[in-house]
Amino acid sequence: MWLLLGQHIGLVAISTAIAALIGLPLGVLVARRAAWRRPVLGLANVFQTIPSLALFGLLIPVFGIGAWTAISALVVYALLPIVRNTYVGITGVDPAVREAGRGMGMTEGELLRLVELPLAAGVILTGVRIATVVSVGIATIAAAIGAGGLGVYIFRGVATVDNTLILAGAVPAALLALLADAVLGFVERRLVWRQR
Amino acid sequence: MKRVLLLALVLSGCAKRDRIVVGAKNFTESDLLAEIVAQHIERRTGLPVERRLHLGGTFVCDRAIKAGQIDLYVEYTGTAFTAILKQSPIADPDSVYRFVAAEYASRFQLHWTAPLGFNNTFAVLVRHADAQRFGLRSIADLGRVAPRWKAGFGYEFLERADGFAGLARLYGLTFSQPPTAMDLGLTYRALADRRVDVIAGNSTDGQIPALDLVALIDDRGYFPPYQAAPVVRAAVLEKNPAVRAALAELGGKISDAEMRRLNALADVEHKDITEIARAWLAERLP
Repeated sequence: MWLLLGQHIGLVAISTAIAALIGLPLGVLVARRAAWRRPVLGLANVFQTIPSLALFGLLIPVFGIGAWTAISALVVYALLPIVRNTYVGITGVDPAVREAGRGMGMTEGELLRLVELPLAAGVILTGVRIATVVSVGIATIAAAIGAGGLGVYIFRGVATVDNTLILAGAVPAALLALLADAVLGFVERRLVWRQR
Repeated sequence: MKRVLLLALVLSGCAKRDRIVVGAKNFTESDLLAEIVAQHIERRTGLPVERRLHLGGTFVCDRAIKAGQIDLYVEYTGTAFTAILKQSPIADPDSVYRFVAAEYASRFQLHWTAPLGFNNTFAVLVRHADAQRFGLRSIADLGRVAPRWKAGFGYEFLERADGFAGLARLYGLTFSQPPTAMDLGLTYRALADRRVDVIAGNSTDGQIPALDLVALIDDRGYFPPYQAAPVVRAAVLEKNPAVRAALAELGGKISDAEMRRLNALADVEHKDITEIARAWLAERLP
């Protein structure tokens, strides 16, 4: 039980962290270069529509079976909310504030680091929060590829026509999603509050 | 008041029962058999048949038929015996069928019609090249190489009473690491990509010849029989005797080899299952 829960949290934490590392720069990129917006967001959208089992089938030749295939699939699914919210957050910064920064002689890098990212932090974090909550649910599919997690109970329950086993996986997963949502929501509120 | 309610129930039941709803589990063979059964009922009785194919496995089909959401689906005797009725596996096909039919009739008001003829048992599969190199013919031969090999199995095979634990005990199998639990469909991919060396599939799968795999012989007779037969709600048969007659005609008509060929048509040659079913019915039951 604790092992599977630990695996589940590990899958979600690692994949969301990787998705944030890739998604944040991508979001900044599409906010800066309008030409990139359609292809990047379009691709992230397309990824979102691939059924997870099909994605695993495509990834087996690359990553084999086990945790890395599951993590890479979860990263693919987590990208869209993070990229899009970063983009929306940064483009939503008041142009007057940006002009004021430029007027103070800030470089593009400083403008991003000191003005845009802090002001967009709330929206970006919402994206990470959505990605995390969605990942907790999708990570149950990792059990289809030998990567463990709470999905093991669900798959075992479905295979043996056993409601109790299914609930033993589904209920902790749901609680985990609620907990992740609450914790990240708290962090988000603190961030926004600090800015005021 | 009670009587009125009952009458209303019966009447609404009548109105809805003009069509037969056929379900299937989420793999090709189940879809194919459902399509064959559906078309055959349409041809013989003229009743409209609704298809609810590719539902989520034994679990979902079982729940759906007990709730009256579907009227029939094709089930396997061994699966009903071990997974639904939670019995320990036994080897004799006839006693399994008789037991399952009697239990289903008395407990669930579900009727098992005549078996279709083939037996879709578990098959322990290895790559053809490995089988040749190590001279593997039976599961007993597997014991020699298992300590250096990796296995990947579906959850059903790992969990069931007639699955891996008993097999490993009977044949003394130990692999280099505990078998990887994964989705059944993905095990074929993993074997073909050499990520694992042994999997357990279904003996009638079209993928076996397509991916150049070999099914090892169960020389100690471990796996119980899995005869396929339509399971129908008894109420439906009472109301429509023609459906009963149509289903009886299908009894014993599909051999192991025939089923493997039909599955391969769908999985390997990617033919449409509606067409496969139509062609097969035209040829075998004109």
